[in-house]
Amino acid sequence: MNKTLISCQGISKVYLKGKQEIIPLNELDLEIIQGEFLALMGPSGSGKTTLLNILAGIDSPSKGKLYFNDQDISQLKRRQLTSFRAKNMAYIFQLYHLIPVLTAYENVELPLLTHRMSSKERHKRVCKALELAKIADRADHYPKQLSGGQEQRVAIARALVTDPPLIVADEPTGDLDQESAQAILTLLKSLCTDLNKTVVMVTHDPKAAAYADRTLFLEKGVLITGDYNVVH
Amino acid sequence: MWFINLSLLSFKQIRRHWLRSLLTIAGAACGMFLFMTVETFQDGLKNATEMQAGDDTLVVYRDKRFCPFTSRLPEDYSNKIAQINGVKSVVPVQVIVNNCGTSLDTITFRGFPEGEFHNYFAGKEIDSTLFDSWKLASDSAILGKEFAQRRGLKAGDRFDAAGITVRVSGIMESDDPQDQNTAFVHLDFLQKSSKRGLGEVTQFNVKVNDHTLLDQVAKEIDNTFRYDREPTHTRPEKAFIANTAKDMIELISFTRWLGLAAVLAVSFLITNTVIIAVRGRVIENAVMQAMGFQMEHLTWMTLAEGLFMGIIGGFTGIASAYLFLSTGNFAISAEGLSIVFNIQLETVLKASILAMIISFVAGIYPAFHSIQGNLVNRLRSH
Ligand SMILES: Nc1ncnc2c1ncn2[C@@H]1O[C@H](COP(=O)(O)OP(=O)(O)O)[C@@H](O)[C@H]1O
Ligand SMILES: [Mg+2]
Repeated sequence: MNKTLISCQGISKVYLKGKQEIIPLNELDLEIIQGEFLALMGPSGSGKTTLLNILAGIDSPSKGKLYFNDQDISQLKRRQLTSFRAKNMAYIFQLYHLIPVLTAYENVELPLLTHRMSSKERHKRVCKALELAKIADRADHYPKQLSGGQEQRVAIARALVTDPPLIVADEPTGDLDQESAQAILTLLKSLCTDLNKTVVMVTHDPKAAAYADRTLFLEKGVLITGDYNVVH
Repeated sequence: MWFINLSLLSFKQIRRHWLRSLLTIAGAACGMFLFMTVETFQDGLKNATEMQAGDDTLVVYRDKRFCPFTSRLPEDYSNKIAQINGVKSVVPVQVIVNNCGTSLDTITFRGFPEGEFHNYFAGKEIDSTLFDSWKLASDSAILGKEFAQRRGLKAGDRFDAAGITVRVSGIMESDDPQDQNTAFVHLDFLQKSSKRGLGEVTQFNVKVNDHTLLDQVAKEIDNTFRYDREPTHTRPEKAFIANTAKDMIELISFTRWLGLAAVLAVSFLITNTVIIAVRGRVIENAVMQAMGFQMEHLTWMTLAEGLFMGIIGGFTGIASAYLFLSTGNFAISAEGLSIVFNIQLETVLKASILAMIISFVAGIYPAFHSIQGNLVNRLRSH
């Protein structure tokens, strides 16, 4: 049995828009286990991205505690939080967000540029990540020479290159055709089964969620566990 | 280590909008070229006016005349001047300028009596053997090195200017910029060739026994000729040169502002380009921050972009200015005073450091701008 990677205790997020309070997350409890593939679903504006950002250490909760490997990260200062992200997590976006002036290889190398590491070691890691994402044959291509599915593979390789325990993905297949989407989902799933990565994925698509070990539903900032079809 | 890695990344970002970057680099090059040229003007001016004007030398000029064309004094004044107490030597000098106005290619003929060259050059380090061959022919001239280089002249060549034809007997090296654009000729030869006629000179260079006597002797000289047909105005050489250079000093001092404006323009141009670049990469920056780039990493990438463009452009400008000014042997002359534009290594160094500083400073605001705002909002901003 794998241990708990992330533990959220009574997490809330409050935004102030003028005098109006927006509460995308309300007193939320959640445990995520290492090696698990977790899908987050819910209507637009239900707080999925906000939760993902908090789990990834990009945003901080307004209230509550967030433990990552038993370390409370909800109290970290900005600088510490940035170091935390460099070591422990990677983000995959719907629109890939690769750097257009860099080749696939260089894009994957990017997160390592600020790490203390020999160029030989860096090269080894980039090649390995490209292979794991099955995109090594396009290493020299620029993003504009790649299809959406291939771009997302490069983004996944970029996520793998620092070998973080957590990978979060915000609608990673939202911009892809069905075939590419399935390939990407299979790849994400294999990261959990083969590499023991924890993947938290936001999706609108029940077919995508079906790849996950567990699916959670967010509605008005509250989590509902179970089958989407049963809930709706 | 990240320092180098991210610099390389910045370099790739510069190539991203290569035309925009190229234009910025070209602008920086033009600005630094202008700055270098202006600085060299300033140096030349400083050199010309701070020359080793003899502390014990007086210049006797025709009163109320300011140009060698119009200052005409009888050569035999020298006898009367020589008798004045405190006077060590008197050299009558004829000055002919091929162009009395301000010009970039001037030659000044200075004629003095054959036997007086020791007195004329007293206190300067001059190779006196040059005058051995000079004495042999009446039309021989010793040229300042700068002028000889500009015209490509060497010993044995003939050249003519202002209707005077001379034969070059030697090239003279001198620290004094006034000697650089001068042809030293025999006084009687110059008087004949310039159709001024024998017995007429432009000025007298008077050395006194002690520099404390300067004012006293000057006064006495002017008193001596006060009621003559050609009254004189006698000043220490330093004051004489400062007065002649006055207009040029004003003109050239003004160019200092041009240099400053050029430097500011370079800075603003780079700032503008980097800001536009950074604005186009808000999400990219946010993505890097999300993957663990710290503020100093992001800041450095932006600063490096400005630095690269400024340094590439700046050094191009400095190098072209160096080539232009050092191969051109330029000099500007007015009323017989010449300013030589010799590019100094010091100026190159100064401009290089300045180029680095301004391109660094140019990146500060964009760098600040690039890390402004909340990360979550920037990630959402598409
Ligand atoms: N920076 C912000 N300021 C104010 N409100 C915000 C901000 N970010 C998100 N929200 C609001 O929080 C709610 C949840 O947003 P989000 O997490 O993006 O939802 P989802 O990803 O599920 O569509 C929305 O109502 C959104 O308008
Ligand atoms: Mg969202």
